[in-house]
Amino acid sequence: MDAVEKANTERQKRWVKDQKVGEGTYAVVYRGREASTNRKVAIKKIKVGQFKDGLDMSAIREVKYLRELRHQNVIELLDVFSSKTNLNLVLEFLDSDLEMIIKDRSLVFLPADIKSWMAMTFRGLEFCHRNWILHRDLKPNNLLIASDGQLKIADFGLARDFADPGYKMTCQVITRWYRPPELLFGSRYYSTAVDVWSVGCIFAELMLRTPYLAGESDMDQLKTIFRALGTPTEQDWPGHTKLPDYVPIGQFPKTPLRDLFTAASADTINLLSQCLLYEPRKRITAKDALNHAYFFALPYPSHPSKLPKCAAQLTAALPLEELDGNTLNGKTNNRLKRKLSSPNETRSAIARRLDFTKPTPGS
Amino acid sequence: MAASSKTPLYEASTQFKNWRYSPPSLAKVRASLNAAAVAVIRNTFEADEPGSSSAVSFLLPDEELLLVRLYASKIPQLCGFFRFPDEVEATAITYLKRFYLKNTVMDWHPKNVMLTALFLATKTTNNPISLEAYTNNIPKTSPSDVLDLEFLVAQSLGFEFAVWHAHRALWGIWLDLQAVPNAPPNGAASQSEIYDTALRHVRASRLSDAELIYTPSQIALASLSMASPELATEWAASKLPPASPSLSTLQDTMAVIRGLIEVAARPLDVEAVRGVDLRLKLCKNPEKVVGSKAYLAKKAEDERKTEEKRNRKAVEVQKAMTAGDPFGDDLGRLVDYDDDDDD
Repeated sequence: MDAVEKANTERQKRWVKDQKVGEGTYAVVYRGREASTNRKVAIKKIKVGQFKDGLDMSAIREVKYLRELRHQNVIELLDVFSSKTNLNLVLEFLDSDLEMIIKDRSLVFLPADIKSWMAMTFRGLEFCHRNWILHRDLKPNNLLIASDGQLKIADFGLARDFADPGYKMTCQVITRWYRPPELLFGSRYYSTAVDVWSVGCIFAELMLRTPYLAGESDMDQLKTIFRALGTPTEQDWPGHTKLPDYVPIGQFPKTPLRDLFTAASADTINLLSQCLLYEPRKRITAKDALNHAYFFALPYPSHPSKLPKCAAQLTAALPLEELDGNTLNGKTNNRLKRKLSSPNETRSAIARRLDFTKPTPGS
Repeated sequence: MAASSKTPLYEASTQFKNWRYSPPSLAKVRASLNAAAVAVIRNTFEADEPGSSSAVSFLLPDEELLLVRLYASKIPQLCGFFRFPDEVEATAITYLKRFYLKNTVMDWHPKNVMLTALFLATKTTNNPISLEAYTNNIPKTSPSDVLDLEFLVAQSLGFEFAVWHAHRALWGIWLDLQAVPNAPPNGAASQSEIYDTALRHVRASRLSDAELIYTPSQIALASLSMASPELATEWAASKLPPASPSLSTLQDTMAVIRGLIEVAARPLDVEAVRGVDLRLKLCKNPEKVVGSKAYLAKKAEDERKTEEKRNRKAVEVQKAMTAGDPFGDDLGRLVDYDDDDDD
């Protein structure tokens, strides 16, 4: 056997697939664990054989970027190995996502909770941007939540790096409701500001508990945006009428954000409005957002462990622990059983075990 | 958090962590790969026909390297033909070199690996073209020549596709220089000539081991110093305090890199390479030669193993069914790495 093949087999043996948890068009996701530690992981198996051009672009992008990025608020790619013609990505296991939490009507969000999710999102995004990576698909269900409450940016299948200005890029990115107006107008030269717009939409959604700018088509998306934020003038956004796909949408008056976000503080409204500025060059950067007064004003962000969790996440945690316990030797088993007596303690046990994150560079 | 406590971006990269060597460690990696390959192939020959390996003259590590270098030098030609950007060219050459730090040319001929590395690089740098368009334009190459190796290449790279290049560092130094009071590039023809010359040296460096030993910025600065020693000195002076001991260390490093670049820029001795390639035909791993006795034997062995595994699994399922628990009683048994039932 070749050395490379041998190394692959070694890697493969480190991970155990337990149960299929999801299936998409090009990948199957398993819940699994690390054989030596029983640390829970997710294994994303990408079928490669079916593509006539070989390894497909979204798998390549995901692997390329996640291999390089290590940050508390970016999903960690623990390993990559192949089995036959499948590519297996071993990712840290995360039980839920922000979309599930937003939709869970039984949960009440405090302003401090929203601030905490926003801080974690901006931290992860600032790290991506600092590494010259555009995510290009930020939305609540790509913001995953670990059992300790940490938020992690996931799904880098549409990501790309950027460096020189004037490099043409595709405008067919970002899920419609979170897509900024410059992309809807067909701009082929854009920047980190596209991701910030998406975060602005997510910010609003956390407060409203429903998607803020839910257009029904690309054309309707622009109308929805303008209806909410007013039609931009040449002064608001110089040059936008020259963009490739520009069409006049109609005149909508500007209504203050305050009218819709009645309970939000002035700082909240200010940061939100800066994320949703029409002129991409004036839109706030992830770095500046982290230094915004909003994050320094009371109430302070909730500690991640104190954030609301959806019911599915809590109940899912228990049987999983039992399952793991069965495979452990007696001693560890006892310890786990004792912990099982209290759901609270169990949760903290999971959190500790999942917290393998190395000191994050640059955090 | 203070800026000083931040890890430089480069030092967080997989290139910094996994693909840097000292000259001796590089030589050691190549020597041990070569020795291991020779041992395996010798065994295969002997199994086929006892005594047959004694007549074979296996390639030496340096000869393997020579062949890899020849095929690395073909990549710029192909990139010129396809009008691929510099990024693709540099990435493909890096992939080819890294591949042969994990594999030997006696197993995998660099010609096909080169074609695969280039195709993979078009995708990882976000310049994809269809496989058909790619192979149709390369004589005597079918899509399977490229695809069959793609997975092996990706695996050998450890799926670490991101590469930091010296030509980017050179561009950065060039932009920096605009802000250096004593040495701003003034846009005159002579100045852009300096940049072009430096870039030519960077390109030559790709055929050397420089990128496996030095950082992209070191290579870029050495290249600039070959085009204009004054500008290189000014830039270094702008980055370091005067009389810093680092300056003389830097000078020494630059001299070594310049040496590597000069050697790499010399045309290869085509006759010598041809000789190596001819000998490779006789000493390559017969298990990788389609249709040979050893190839067929390995294939039969692989099939037998797969069959055995399949049978074992069937028996286990049967056992579990009769035991009353169709999911088995031991989680450990769910471990099946080749489980492709869902395909």
